[in-house]
Amino acid sequence: MSFTTLLSDYLVRPKVWDEMCNKGNVRNHYQVFFDSLRESTSDEFMLKDELAKKLFMNQGITFTVYSDGEGIEKIFPFDIIPRIITAAEWDHIESGIKQRIRALNIFLRDIYHDQFIVKDKIIPEALIHSCPGFLREMVGVDVPFDIYTHISGIDLIRDGDGSFYVLEDNLRTPSGVSYMLENRNMTYRIFPGLLPRNNVRSVKDYPDLLLKNLLGLANQQKSEPTVVMLTPGIYNSAYFEHTTLARLMGVDLVEGRDLVVDNAKVYMKTTAGLKQVDVIYRRVDDEFLDPLIFNRESILGVSGIYYAYKMGNVAIVNAPGNGVADDKAVYPYVPHMIKYYLNEEPILKTVPTYSMDNSEHFSEVFSKISGMVIKKTNESGGYGMLMGHAATEQEVVAYKLEVEKNPRHFIAQPIISLSSVPCFLKGKVQPRHVDLRPFALYGPQGIEIVPGGLTRVALREGSLVVNSSQGGGSKDTWVLGS
Amino acid sequence: MLSRVADAVFWMARYMERTDNVLRVLRTSYIASQDEIQDFNWQLWVDGLGAFSSNPNVKVSNYQEALNHMILSRENDTSVLTNIARARENARSVQDYITKEVWQVINEYYHLVRDPKTENLLLKNDPVTAFDNLLRESVLFHGTVDITMNRGEGYIFLSIGKYIERILRSLDILELKIREIENGGNEAMQWKYLLYALSGYEFHSKNYKNALQLEAVTHQIFLDVQFPHSVLYSLLQVERYFKRLEDISLPEHFKELEFLVGRATSNLRYTSKHNSGMEEVKSWIVETRLEVKGVSQKLANLYFGYS
Repeated sequence: MSFTTLLSDYLVRPKVWDEMCNKGNVRNHYQVFFDSLRESTSDEFMLKDELAKKLFMNQGITFTVYSDGEGIEKIFPFDIIPRIITAAEWDHIESGIKQRIRALNIFLRDIYHDQFIVKDKIIPEALIHSCPGFLREMVGVDVPFDIYTHISGIDLIRDGDGSFYVLEDNLRTPSGVSYMLENRNMTYRIFPGLLPRNNVRSVKDYPDLLLKNLLGLANQQKSEPTVVMLTPGIYNSAYFEHTTLARLMGVDLVEGRDLVVDNAKVYMKTTAGLKQVDVIYRRVDDEFLDPLIFNRESILGVSGIYYAYKMGNVAIVNAPGNGVADDKAVYPYVPHMIKYYLNEEPILKTVPTYSMDNSEHFSEVFSKISGMVIKKTNESGGYGMLMGHAATEQEVVAYKLEVEKNPRHFIAQPIISLSSVPCFLKGKVQPRHVDLRPFALYGPQGIEIVPGGLTRVALREGSLVVNSSQGGGSKDTWVLGS
Repeated sequence: MLSRVADAVFWMARYMERTDNVLRVLRTSYIASQDEIQDFNWQLWVDGLGAFSSNPNVKVSNYQEALNHMILSRENDTSVLTNIARARENARSVQDYITKEVWQVINEYYHLVRDPKTENLLLKNDPVTAFDNLLRESVLFHGTVDITMNRGEGYIFLSIGKYIERILRSLDILELKIREIENGGNEAMQWKYLLYALSGYEFHSKNYKNALQLEAVTHQIFLDVQFPHSVLYSLLQVERYFKRLEDISLPEHFKELEFLVGRATSNLRYTSKHNSGMEEVKSWIVETRLEVKGVSQKLANLYFGYS
């Protein structure tokens, strides 16, 4: 059975934007890819699929689930058919994300200093102060180059008409970039020659750009600043990513126990004694960063590190306190921020969002619940959501009670169908819903986005939840050159 | 380099060396067991190799039970599988430091030892093939380290770990063989198996005129600097790698450890203990082991003492 025949059963759902097919025809930007594989059989695809799984397993690109003392190795499901983005689409995405990051970064600077945006009544003060991610300790703290959002992962989705929406901003410790890199490495193994033939732009500069930015944050008086990456350790599900990035950048991967603070300076414990650290790319959440300031029980962080940071003796990336800007309840205000701070119209659309502590919104949402999704403002990973179209009546009632208890902790949005892409599953090519997370790097020289990102796929038929913890997988993302 | 990373690299090497040594000795023992008139005493090996296990009182009655316990058991914290899993955990915690190739070899080794096919071969088909498959990974590890790792500090700690472990294993295996001889085993035959297990039989035939006697065997295992499993050879390697640390160490730490390594080497160089009887050799094993463990302990205190 050839690829063409495999595609004959490919049925795009109504009102869904399919990345490859348009009314039964293959879109132009998929044509080269499609033609190259026209004669490939289902068995060949199966072999490629097996090869990919074997490579992920042997290379240890896995996460470990610990149960009964013994770890079970799992791989993040990878679908072999790439998701392709045109040069024009990418230009739109890139300029939209840059605009958004600039506004969010100014917002963070403003919110931790003068709070003009609150004084001008663009954003309610109560909303800011009710955000769990708002850190009082950051008020009045000057951060190097006024950059807070050094690394951001912006989740984008596409509605039925193909327009891009921002679903979420991840401004704290966004993960997934190693999969962007590894998925690309996988593609050239399973589809030899296809990348250059399709004029796919490279993503391999990411670690170099990141390192350049990290070095740029160090005290300018130092000729050879020490940059480290702080990981919670091998039991963290993103540990593979931490080691990959540390290796690619050539920086030490440290754990909290490797660092110590003395006289407001951070040092790492080496075989030749203590060595001062200048820049820390941390993958430890704010809450666990410093047991003296935040969670006292934390053993992942370093006592005194926050003081060293405040004194300007060490740079921490991303800045603590960014949670206030990516809170789901603050999300609907981002277009206002763009207008307020930049005097520009937002390039990327925002999903209409209802605050559940507004009683009018509350009743409106529950009156048309089958078309709505309700989310907890402080949860991520696809947890704590109610998808109206898939919930039973009892579930809706139970969830409503939950919302009534603490409406500030919930927001609602109309369900956006998410675009679909072909996936090779169980010997067949089938459409599955995807999102896209490009990674933006904000350094002293500006914002850069490598052309690509992580495409997450909801592998269950009809599902709109792409999170890896909820049965999601990923795909290589090709951004085509112009 | 980070103390934690140095520690993990050191132990990664120790676990890998231990795995290699244990597999080689078990392979030889299995082959020996197939060529015996009487039942092979597997219990002695289970007790000997599991002396420091948290569950030392395991009883086995045949080779399947013995190999299962010593190689595949997840409950046995001294089994080959546990060793490889530990090597891998250590490698994982320094994955950014070791090369990608080294990590992949250890990872593959881990998946191989857990593969049901390995169990099937080992317990139901031909165990020698299973041993050979596993040992091939071990050789791959050494080769991959050799051609991919830079010769910086990490390589030094890795090499020191490897040679310290090799000394301890050679001593352990010699001790167990002596016990087998004392239990009535044919002396020449036991020495032969011992040398096979340490890949030293051919060397012995050529250089010791196939003597297969206590004096010649102990000389080869303790003092022959051409024999890569000998205690002195390995100790000289420890000394050689350790000296490279001088420029990057705190002077007082370096001196303290240099003294211990130097003393241990000299004690071996200028000895005549290999000319004595079985009892003296046994106490020589104990003394040397203590000395080498002292070096390892001091290294941990001075260079890995990060907590």
